[in-house]
Amino acid sequence: MEKVLTITPSRCTACRTCELACSFKHSRNGTPGIARIRAFMFGEGRNQVVTCFQCDEAACVKVCPVSALSRNEQTGAIEVNELRCIGCGLCAVACPFGHMNQDRVNHLAIKCDLCGGEPACAAFCPTRALEFK
Amino acid sequence: MPAKLINLEIDGRIFQAEEGMTILEVARREGIHIPTLCHHDALEPVGSCRLCLVEITHRDWKGWRGLVTSCLYPVEEGLQVTTFNEDIRHARRTVLDLLLARCPNSTVIQKLAAEYGVLATSYAKNETDTNCILCGLCVRVCAVKGCNAISTAGRGVERVISIPFDEPPPDCIGCASCAHICPTGVIEFEDADGVRRIWGRSFPMVRCPSCGQPVMPEAQLEFEAAKSGLDPDYLRTCPACSQKKTVDTIRTTFELKAVEVAG
Repeated sequence: MEKVLTITPSRCTACRTCELACSFKHSRNGTPGIARIRAFMFGEGRNQVVTCFQCDEAACVKVCPVSALSRNEQTGAIEVNELRCIGCGLCAVACPFGHMNQDRVNHLAIKCDLCGGEPACAAFCPTRALEFK
Repeated sequence: MPAKLINLEIDGRIFQAEEGMTILEVARREGIHIPTLCHHDALEPVGSCRLCLVEITHRDWKGWRGLVTSCLYPVEEGLQVTTFNEDIRHARRTVLDLLLARCPNSTVIQKLAAEYGVLATSYAKNETDTNCILCGLCVRVCAVKGCNAISTAGRGVERVISIPFDEPPPDCIGCASCAHICPTGVIEFEDADGVRRIWGRSFPMVRCPSCGQPVMPEAQLEFEAAKSGLDPDYLRTCPACSQKKTVDTIRTTFELKAVEVAG
């Protein structure tokens, strides 16, 4: 069975290292705004990170007019083909969980691609709230 | 059935490619730079900008060689491709010189022309103020979206990107894909006060039910929901509010669970 990115909220400190790791991995600049993962703090030590669920029947794949989104069979992640993407932003709106985004500079869809099988967020998570196993 | 594999030579290196791929596709895959203006991977190539010209020859062609548009030319066994030499540079220079004559004010064209040493056009400058290079990306993207609201009209020097009968196009859904894809930024649209104005039409925008931000034109929402078969409500909420909702759901679930465990 393919590996899964697991999130354990009780271990998350919302330190946002995952956001930075994600941003550096995908664009070589540390802008959390383009990170594919997001940490939330609720106060009283309760935190949560959310990222793409890689849905089996994904709304983003369904709406893409140019088939720029497809599943990588090896990692199980839905990936954006940036050369095909026309930047219409429809996938970001269609995702019922809000886990997709649009790069405001290049007008390209951005989403978690599990870093091709080695998620940087899990590798850098200091408390092992994110694990890839 | 797997596609037939073909061996071809690009700049002296041998590459394998699948039958039906174009020279440009193989070159891009191998990281060999070929400039283009009218190419987009998601759209049918048309070869209108002529910038991707490369030289081809074959050992069976008895020394014949010629320039072809790499975005359209399919690979064939034993093809020998040169992506840059003096002839190609000369041809691309002429293309850019002509484009610069057509769009003297376009910074995209100015920059590309300067790369090929064309700092000012040697032809008479176009007097009508346009930055449109007639690459047709907007027309093709509109067709791929399934609207076909705009097209090219006229021939030769009178060719323009146009809307039917120069009236606001009835098939337009206001998605602004044409504006986003335009390499020289000619197509204008304006989002103000929850209304998008493009191609002479005004489209009222759907507002996110949570934050009130405009999400997309109502006409587009109807069109996309019908096309994809998705629940229209999926397309009403903005990404940030959808994410907030997800997080809230997860949080409340955990809180209920915690109460259950403690209780």
